[in-house]
Amino acid sequence: MPSSLSAQNKNKRRQFPATVFWFSLGIVMEVCGSSSPTLREFGCEQNLLSRPDGSSSFVQGDTSVLAGVYGPAEVKVSKEIYDRATLEVVMQPKVGLPTVRERAREQCVRETCKASLLSTLHPRSSLTLVLQVVHDDGSLLSCFLNSACMALMDAGLPMSCLFAGVTCAIDTDGQVITDPNAAQEKESRALMTFAIDSTERRVMMSSTRGSFTVHELQQCIAVSQKASDKIFQFYRDSVRRRYSKTL
Amino acid sequence: MKHLLINLVSRGTEMNFVGFRSDVRTLDEPTWLTKNTMAAGFKTAEPLEYHRSFLKENCRPDGRELGEFRTTTLNIGSISTADGSALVKIGNTTVMCGIKGELANPPVDAPNKGYIVPNVDLPPLCSSRFRPGPPGERAQAASQFIADVIESSAVIQKEDLCIVKGKLCWVLYCDIMCLDFDGNLLDACLIALLAALKNARLPEVTVNKETEAPEVNLESRRSLNIHKHPVGASFIVFDDSIMIVDPTAEEESLSTATITVVTDEEERLCALHKPGGTSLSGEKLQNCISRATTRHKEVRKLIDKVIQSAKTPK
Amino acid sequence: MQACFKDKVGDVLLPGDVFSFQMPESITDSKPEKVVCGPGLRRNGDEVLVCKSGILRHKQPNLYWIDSQQRRYVPGKGESVIGIITAKSGDIFKVDVGGSEQASLSYLAFEGATKRNRPNVQVGDLVYSQFIIANKDMEPELVCIDSCGRANGMGVFGAGGLLFKVSLGLVRRLLAPQSEIAKDLEKMFPFEIVVGMNGRVWVKSKTIQQTLIVANLLESCENMTAQQRQTLFRRVADGSI
Repeated sequence: MPSSLSAQNKNKRRQFPATVFWFSLGIVMEVCGSSSPTLREFGCEQNLLSRPDGSSSFVQGDTSVLAGVYGPAEVKVSKEIYDRATLEVVMQPKVGLPTVRERAREQCVRETCKASLLSTLHPRSSLTLVLQVVHDDGSLLSCFLNSACMALMDAGLPMSCLFAGVTCAIDTDGQVITDPNAAQEKESRALMTFAIDSTERRVMMSSTRGSFTVHELQQCIAVSQKASDKIFQFYRDSVRRRYSKTL
Repeated sequence: MKHLLINLVSRGTEMNFVGFRSDVRTLDEPTWLTKNTMAAGFKTAEPLEYHRSFLKENCRPDGRELGEFRTTTLNIGSISTADGSALVKIGNTTVMCGIKGELANPPVDAPNKGYIVPNVDLPPLCSSRFRPGPPGERAQAASQFIADVIESSAVIQKEDLCIVKGKLCWVLYCDIMCLDFDGNLLDACLIALLAALKNARLPEVTVNKETEAPEVNLESRRSLNIHKHPVGASFIVFDDSIMIVDPTAEEESLSTATITVVTDEEERLCALHKPGGTSLSGEKLQNCISRATTRHKEVRKLIDKVIQSAKTPK
Repeated sequence: MQACFKDKVGDVLLPGDVFSFQMPESITDSKPEKVVCGPGLRRNGDEVLVCKSGILRHKQPNLYWIDSQQRRYVPGKGESVIGIITAKSGDIFKVDVGGSEQASLSYLAFEGATKRNRPNVQVGDLVYSQFIIANKDMEPELVCIDSCGRANGMGVFGAGGLLFKVSLGLVRRLLAPQSEIAKDLEKMFPFEIVVGMNGRVWVKSKTIQQTLIVANLLESCENMTAQQRQTLFRRVADGSI
C-alpha cells in the first residue's frame, strides 16, 4: 500500500501545486500498557481545493475524508451570533443523503471544533466546514476529526489548540486495537472514539459503542493519548513540509 | 389524548419520588440578591455572572448542590392504547415514552432478529427553542443516542423479538416525546424508555399452519425479557472547570461541555457520550462515572418500586 | 524573553504552541523587555499563544508574527485593498473586499469630492482604497484619500485589465520591499499591476496575451522555490512556453 500511495502522490503533485505529504506511523506492533500504539499509514494534503478558504484530505489506511472550510464569511441574519462566529458542519456520506447518524456525528465534530476555535475573534460571521467521505474502512469519525483539524488550520482560523481523533476497538480477547479497520470494528466488542487536545492531552470528545468496564475505558483513553502524540507530530511534519518552500 | 389524561389522574397515587433531598433547605443567598426584583434583573442581564455567584457558594440557583439530581417522578402505563408506556419527570423536564409492537418480516441479513426503532420528538410545545417542521438536530442526535444505547447495552436481545425465523418478527416502535423541556433530556428519555419497555406486554402470536397467516391472541400477553438496565447521568461543565449534574435548560445553554454516562447494573459503561466542548482529564471522567453508578442504583430502585406498586391490586 | 522567540524564528509553528516566560528570580530588577506580537500570536496571561499555523517571523527590534498562507481576507486597519462596488445607498457605497462583511465607502472620501461635486463611481467599478476602520466589532470603512486629502494612487481604476485572486501570502511577498518576485516579473515586459492586501491582483498589459501570461505566472508562483520560479520566468521570456 505505501508504494502505491506514493505513486499516487507524484501524479497529484503534477496536478495541484499544493504540498503533498505521506507519512508512515506504524512501525511498533501491538498495543498493551507501555508499548506505543499502532496506527495505520497516515496521509494528509492541505490546500488541495481551489474554491474553499481551507481544505484538506486525510487518509488513515484505506479510510479517506476530504474537508473544506469556508469563512469567516457573511452570515445569515437568523444564524448570526453577536459575540462569536457561527460554525456549521456538513457531513456528506459516500452515497445517498445524510442520515440521523451523520447528524449525530456532525454535532460531535462541530462541538469539538467550537471548543478549539477562538470564534470570538470573528463575531457575526459564519464558518462552514464540509466533510466528504471518500472511502470508509473503519475509524471514520477519527478521520473526520483529523481532516477537520487540518482544514481549519489551513484556512488560518485562530485556534487555541489542535485536536486529534483516535478510535480504539476492544476485541473479544480484551485487547485494545487503535485505529481499527472496518473488519476489526465489526468483530470488536466495544468501540470508542476520542478527540484529544494538543495542550494537555485531555479528552475533548468521546463517542462509544458497545459496553465496557471503567478499567477498559481508562486504558483506551491512555492509549489514545499516546497515539495522539504521534498524530500531533504528524500534523507538525506535514505543515512543516507545506511551508518548506517559503522558509 | 383524553385517555391519557384520565390515566394520569387515576394513577396519580402511584407516583413515587426519588432524589437526594428530603426537605427543602433555605439557601444562603449572597446579600445583594436578597431583593427578588434585583435578582431577576441580574439574572436576565448577566446570566453567566448570576450562575457564577451561586456556584462560588457551591450551590445552584434552584437550591440544589452541584452533585444533586432534581426530583425524579415516574408513572407507568399512562397510555392505555400503547403496548407499554411511561411518563418521567426530572424537575420540570417531562418525557413520555410509548411502545407499540407491530409485526413485520425479519431483516434479510439477520433472519432471527427483530427491530427496535426509537424516535425522540421535540415538539414546539415543549420549549420555544424548537420550531415546527422536520426534527431538528437536537432531536435527531437524541434519537441516534437512544438507538446507540439500545444497541450497546443489549437491553433487549433482538433475537427475542423473532417469532418465526425468517418469516415473522416484532418491530418495537419506541416513541419518546418531550412534553416540557428543561434540560437533561437524555437521562429522562432513557428512564422513560426503560420503564416503558418493562411495562410493555406484547400479545401472543401464533402462525396458522394452513394459511401461514399470523394470528394474534390479544387475551394472552406477556412482558418483554429485559436483559440489562441502562441508566444515564448527565453532567455539564461550567466555566471550563465546575462540574454540575442534571442541568436545567438554562444551565445547559451556558455550559461549555456536556457529558452523558450510561451504566448498567454490572457497573459496565454502555455509553460515554461527550460531544466536544471543554476537554476533561481521566480523573474528572472517573468522578462522573462514580456519580453515574450511584444514580443507577437510585433509578433502578424507583423503577422497581413503581412497577411493584402497579402490580399490586388496589 | 526575546531569546525564547529568537530560537524559533523561521520555524513552523502550530496553533496551541506556547511561549512561556519564566523569569529567573535573580534578574527581576533588570529592565522589562517589550515584545510586539503580530498576527497569529496572542497574549494569554503570562504566556504567548500561537493561534495560526505558519512560520515565525521577526523584524528588528522586537516585532514577531506568524506568516501563514491564508486565503480568506480579514480587514486590517491601514491596509490597501482592491474592492468592487456592489451598491450605492445614499451617501455611501458598499464595497466587497472579500471579507466577512461588506465595507462602506463614503462618496466624500475621494480626492476633490464635495457635496456638489460627486465622484463618478458606478456599481461594478474597482476601487483601490485603504481601511480607516477595521475591527471585529464594527463595519469596516474604506477611504480613497490619504490624511492630506490626496488620492495618492487610490480611487477608481481598472479599464480593460484582468482581476484575479491569489493567496494572501503571495500578495504579501509581492508587496514586500525588494520583492524578488516583483523584480523577476519586471524583467519580462512592461505591464501595469495593482496588488491589494486582500489577495486581489489586477494586471493590464499591451496585449491580452501578455496580460494572461502575467496572471498565470503569478498564480503558479504560489508553490515554487526561487530557483524554480526563475527558470520558469526565463523560459517564458525566451518564448519557449
